Parts: sequence; structure tokens; C-alpha cells
Amino acid sequence: MKGMCAGKKGRKILSFFIFGIILIGSCTKTNEFTIGKDFVESRTKLQVIDTFRVDLSTVLLDSVITSSSKIAYAGHYSDTIFGSISSESYFDLAYESFSDIEERAIYDSSSFILHYTDNNFGDTTSLMSLSIHRLTENIVPFEKSYLFNTSKFSYQPQVMGSVSFYPEPHSSDTAVSVRVDAFGAELFDLIRNKDEKVSTEEWFKDYIKGFVITSGTADNKALIGFNAGQEYLVLRIYYHINKEEAEKKAITIKMGEATHQFNSVKFDFTNTPLYNIKTEGNEVPATKTGNRAFMQGMIGLFPKLKFSSLDQILASENWKILKAELIVEPVPHSYEVYGLPDSLYIFRSDRENKRTTLYSDKSEPMLAYFESDYYLHENNRYTYDITSYINRELSDAYINSFDGLMIGPNDSKLSSSFERLLVEGKHPPVKLRLYYLSY
Amino acid sequence: MRKLTKTYLLILLILFLHSGSIFSQITTSPYSIFGMGYLETSSSGPFKAMGGTGIAFLSGRSINSMNPASYSGIDSLMSIFEIGVFGKYTTYSTRKEDQSLLNANLRYLAMGFRLTPWLATSFGFSPYSSVGYSINTTAQLEGTTQKYPKTFSGNGGVNQVYLGGSVNLIKNLSVGLNAAYLFGNLTHRESSAVFGYSLEDVSYLSNFNIDYGLNYQIGIKKWKYNLGLTYSNSKKLQTKNVTTIETDYETEVLKSRNYKYSLPRKIGAGFAMTKGYFRAGIDYEWSGWENIDFVNTYLRTRNSSRYSLGVEFPSLGLNKGTSRMVLYRFGGEYRESYMIIDNIPINYSSVSFGAGIPMKGYLSVINVSVELGQNGTTQKDLFRERFITLNLDLALKDWWFRKRKYD
Repeated sequence: MKGMCAGKKGRKILSFFIFGIILIGSCTKTNEFTIGKDFVESRTKLQVIDTFRVDLSTVLLDSVITSSSKIAYAGHYSDTIFGSISSESYFDLAYESFSDIEERAIYDSSSFILHYTDNNFGDTTSLMSLSIHRLTENIVPFEKSYLFNTSKFSYQPQVMGSVSFYPEPHSSDTAVSVRVDAFGAELFDLIRNKDEKVSTEEWFKDYIKGFVITSGTADNKALIGFNAGQEYLVLRIYYHINKEEAEKKAITIKMGEATHQFNSVKFDFTNTPLYNIKTEGNEVPATKTGNRAFMQGMIGLFPKLKFSSLDQILASENWKILKAELIVEPVPHSYEVYGLPDSLYIFRSDRENKRTTLYSDKSEPMLAYFESDYYLHENNRYTYDITSYINRELSDAYINSFDGLMIGPNDSKLSSSFERLLVEGKHPPVKLRLYYLSY
Repeated sequence: MRKLTKTYLLILLILFLHSGSIFSQITTSPYSIFGMGYLETSSSGPFKAMGGTGIAFLSGRSINSMNPASYSGIDSLMSIFEIGVFGKYTTYSTRKEDQSLLNANLRYLAMGFRLTPWLATSFGFSPYSSVGYSINTTAQLEGTTQKYPKTFSGNGGVNQVYLGGSVNLIKNLSVGLNAAYLFGNLTHRESSAVFGYSLEDVSYLSNFNIDYGLNYQIGIKKWKYNLGLTYSNSKKLQTKNVTTIETDYETEVLKSRNYKYSLPRKIGAGFAMTKGYFRAGIDYEWSGWENIDFVNTYLRTRNSSRYSLGVEFPSLGLNKGTSRMVLYRFGGEYRESYMIIDNIPINYSSVSFGAGIPMKGYLSVINVSVELGQNGTTQKDLFRERFITLNLDLALKDWWFRKRKYD
């Protein structure tokens, strides 16, 4: 019996011992310990190398999708660096079965109503002049879905209505009205008379093919982006009925399908460094454009970066790239009028300059926010962590000289914003900063 | 076999299977950067309190694996199970600063019993050497003016599991041997959390090794005098080196350096004198490290020596000679380690004292000891470790084959 008791107690003490070990064993603190540092032998060396050449060029996309962007850009501006750019905005009208208009109704006037958005580009303090023309052919989207900056549809040369105004782009309760009284009167009569031209959608679309807002004759200095939501971009026909007091009424015809609304953007690079980009196969090296590369949405200008000297790394053994940063700086003072994009995405590009989104380690499309130095205007930059990309490029021990990266807006921004950037290519050049571990 | 004994065996087995993790970081000493790491002594409970002295002592109330010939002292009717843990508080000093760490872990496991009337055996488990350090420093980020934080760390160690036996060859002369299997890994790593990389060197070591022992006893009047001798040959450890570099993006196994590890030849001699419950002893042990080289610019090896002495005496008064008697112990130890770092020899010295306290009315004993000591020096850029170690060892005894006796 004695033996059994010893066993119980023994086991108790034993358990206490073992738990004690586990408890105390885990409380060793070592994270701030430094003694012994004079006797460690380091086998690794970490250095920063940012002398690899980055070949910079500008790529012009064949076309940019500009339909369904919900923004109708109209206007024009001209600038010595990016050339002159104008935008014409196309749209059509939605058909609806019109309600009866009383015989004694009297037509007053008609206007297209244009609401401002925050998407404007250029000097919005100058007088703007816009015109509206009537299309002579229907808007037919490519593959029923897309229209491009390069798309065009023919329209009547004569102006059906025009307006001159000082833009108030930040005003939400004012809108620009473009009077089209003559056209409105014609449509009013057709509706009142229940003419077959307005009796079905098919007849209606044949009668009213669409409209285009063009930059007026005046020397515009801005592109104004109007709200092209179906509820906002409307044609309004005003009339009244004579009673003791005149009863004012209006017919509102909404914009048609979003896929039929697009911006046709014309650009003219004459007298700019990009003058021959089209004849050069839509890509010119920065060395031929004053050591700068160009980026602009709506047109499709993208800076492209190639790392052709990166294969020098492959010559040595026992290294790892721990971090690769791409640092892109805007040309100083190049953004005082037109501003800079708050953020820009980065893409992988191939020989055909096809873009493939680069993803961050969190599986989100990678982007860089503009970092600025408000006081000194130095160190203004976009910085990308492209470690994964560089390691993938190096992993097959071969650098494809056509592969590279492009920076610019993502697709939705590309088709809705004129934001631009002039990339400095020489003082300093675009930097690839490698954290290079050798062992 | 008794139920309790079965339980102990099961615990031994479980701990053995988990041995890698349990013994993985037994020490915390920056000196364990070097060579095989920090060498642990295999002395168990009572001997730990006597400066690690034990070559000439016979096993009896506890197992003495320092000399395999000692197992012949195990009582023929008892099995002994022992487990030891320690807690160590160390202050590390350079000429400029002091830093302290607390560390605790399992120290050893052992079991001993008489298998046949002529053969006593023991088996157990203990660390041979251990690596444990974590040193934070900074390194130059070349090409810039910046520095970045870097950590050098190490862990692992060589463990040994042994099976030993001892026989009485002739009257008063016993011989024995421990067949040990040594295994483990020494891991040294440098890493930077900021840049997410680490370079790790792991040496996987293993081999069998045999310790031989002899114990000769003569009795003169009421005194017994024991002479103990131990020997083990030099042995190359089978070594497999694996170097791995790991970044946030990939892991690559590199061509490793060819590190080699060996156990030194070891010769030990001890003398003990016993009268009743009083005993005292001295040890000398020599290890031939000088021709074992390690790849390190700072480290040079030399033959190491260990000197120790220890005394054990019983509490006086009523309890003397009863099962409630407390045994007191003290001792001292001096070691000239195998390390000469930056031309400075690293020496170890300590004093220890403790007591063996019987559990009231039963056969088991708790051995408590405290060791105060220092290792290293603050000369040059070296550092001195001053430590206090609390060892707690439990010796559980059980009647062996008791059932059969009652049948």
C-alpha cells in the first residue's frame, strides 16, 4: 500500500515538474539581447543598387474605349508639350411613347441640359463655346458594346444649337443649357400630331439618329466633362397652356443607351516631341523625346520601362533580390496647370504593348500614390514595389528585351479621364532600386 | 513489472519522442555560437550539488551516469526513476554593459534497476551540448548610409540516449559501460525581419559512442575508499550540413559548407571516501579537443580539463539514519573549456550547495541544489556570464519485483 501512495504523490510531483518546465521554458526573452555581436560572422551582405539602366519610351495605344464612361467631354485645349486635344461627345436619345399634348398647347423653347462633373481638364476659367450637331447616321457600337476615342459618325455641318459660357465646374445646381429651339419646335409638332416618326422606337431612331457636342469656334482652353448619366443628359421641350394663368409644362427626353454614348478624342502632336509617334509604330524612346515619357488618359499614352541591363545580375552567383522598387518622378514644374494623377497603376507589357495588370502581394491591382514634398518640390514621385515582377523575370535566367512595365490609369480611368504625367527620364532617370543580398 | 514503473517507462518514451523540442534550447549563452555549443554535464541530482563530482561515487540513492561502473551500487530490490529540471538566471557583462536572461528547461531523465543479481542497468536521456542564443545587431545597408537590424540566432544541440550496464567483476571491482546514441542538430541563423530573409545552417549530427568505467573499492576500518576511472574514445560524428536561404519570395537549399564534428577522447579519474552517510570526492577529467577544429575565425580549441570536489553529509539529530534524514551537499568546480576565443581562454568556475530531502515517509527524494558561477571573461570584447542555477531533481524509487516477492 505504501508503494501505491508513493506512486500517486510521485505522479503529482512529476506533473508539476513537467508543467513548470513548459511554463518557464517559454518565458525566455531574447529580442533585445545584443551581447555577443562582436563574435558573429556574417555570411550575407545586403546592398542597394540603383544603377541599372531603365529604358524609357512612350507608347500610344491604337485606341481607347470611351463609351459608357458616363462623362461627355466637350472642348479643346492646346499645349506645347502634349499638343492640341479636342473632344466631341456623341449620344442618342431614348425612345418613349409620348403622352398626348393638348391642342391648345403653345411651344416655347427646347434645350439640351448639361450638368457639370468634377472631370474637367485645362483652364476652366476661360470662356467656353460649344455647339450641337445632329447626326446623319445612327451610333452603332463595335460588338454591340464598345466605342473608341477614334470612333466617328457623320453629322450635319450646320450647328443646331450653341452656347458660350464661363464654366462653373464645381457648382452642382447650375447646368449649361444649349438651346435647340428650331429642332425642338419640329419635334413638338410631331409629338402633338402623333406623327408616325415618333410612334415607334424604330421610326424614332430613324428620325433622330443622335447628336454630337463639339468644341465651338472659339479658342477653347479646356475640356469640360458633363454628366452623361441617362437622367442627367436630357433634351427638354418647354411649352405652356393658356389659361387664366399660363400653365407651364415640359417634355423630357432622356439620353439613350450608355453604350451609345462616347467621346471622340482628336489629338494633334505637331510641334511636340511626339510628332512622329504614329509613323514610328506607336512607340518612341525617351531619348528622342527630350528624355521624357508621356502619359495621358483618353488618348492612350503610356510610359514604358524596360530593364535591358538587368541580365548583368544573372552573371553572378549566390544572390537574391529582396526588394525591387521602381521610382518614377514627374518632370519638375510640368504639372502646374494640368495637375498630376493622385495614383497610377502599373502593368506588365509585352512586345505588342498589351497591358496586364500587376498585382500586389495582397492580390490587389498594384498602384502608387503620388508622394509629394510640399515645401521643396523635391522627391515628388510614384514608387512601386515590383519585387515579385523582377524575381519572376530573373527566375528563368533570361530577360526578354521586349518585356517591360507600363504605368498609367486603369481601364475605367483611361476611358474617363484626361489626367496626364510627364515622366522625367534623365535628371534623375527612372530608377530601379534593388535590395541585393549576396552570400 | 509494477504499474508505477510502467508509468515511468511510458513517460520516458513520450519525452524521448519529444526530445527534439524539449531539449532544443536548453541553454542561452552567446558562447554557444562556437563549436559544438555549450557542453552540458551529465551529473544527476546529488552530484550536481557537489560541484558535479561523481566519477568515484557508486549509484545508490540515485543514478550516477558519469561512471557506468557505478550502477553496481543500485539496490537489488529497487528501481529508480529520475527527472531533473533547472532554472537559470544569467547576467552577461561586457566592459560596457550588462544584460540578463532567464532560462529554464528539462535537464535529464534516467532510470536504473538491477536486471539480474549480477547485472545492474540504467538508461536515460540527457543533453550533451546545446546551442541557444539570439543576438541582435545592425548591419550596413551597402550603397546607402543606412543600417538595418539583423539577428543572429542559434538553437538545437546534441542529445544522448544511453543504455548502460555494470557488473561486479571480482569483489570490490566493478566495471561498466554506457552505450550512447548521440543525435541532434546545431542550427545557426542570420536573419532580418525588415527585409524578410534568413540564411540558416543546420548540421545534423549522430553517432554511437561508448563510455567505459571502472570502480574499485577498499574498506579500511569504518571508511570505504573508492577509485573511479572513466574513458571514452574520440569519435567522429556523422554530419549532414544543410544551408538554406529563405526570402519572402523563395526558399533555396544551397551548397553547404563541409562542417565536421567529433567527440573528443575523454579520460576521467575520481577518488571518493565514504563513512556511513558521509561521503566526499574529487574528480579530474580531461578531454582531447585540441585536434578537433571548427570553422570559425575567432575560435581555437585546446584540451579541456575539469576539476571538482564535493561533500555530502547527513543532518544531525533524531532523524539521522531514518527515512526522514536530510542529506546536505556542497562542492566546487573549475573547468578549462575547449574554447579559446580571440586568444582568450574561456574558463568556468562555480560553487554549489544543496540538499536531498526525503518525501515524508516514502522512499522518494527531492534533490535541490543551487549553483553560483561564472563563465568567460570581459577581456577584449568578450563577455562574462554570471549565473545562478536552481536544479530540482526528483528521484522516485519503487520496489522492483515486489509482486513476485509477495506471491
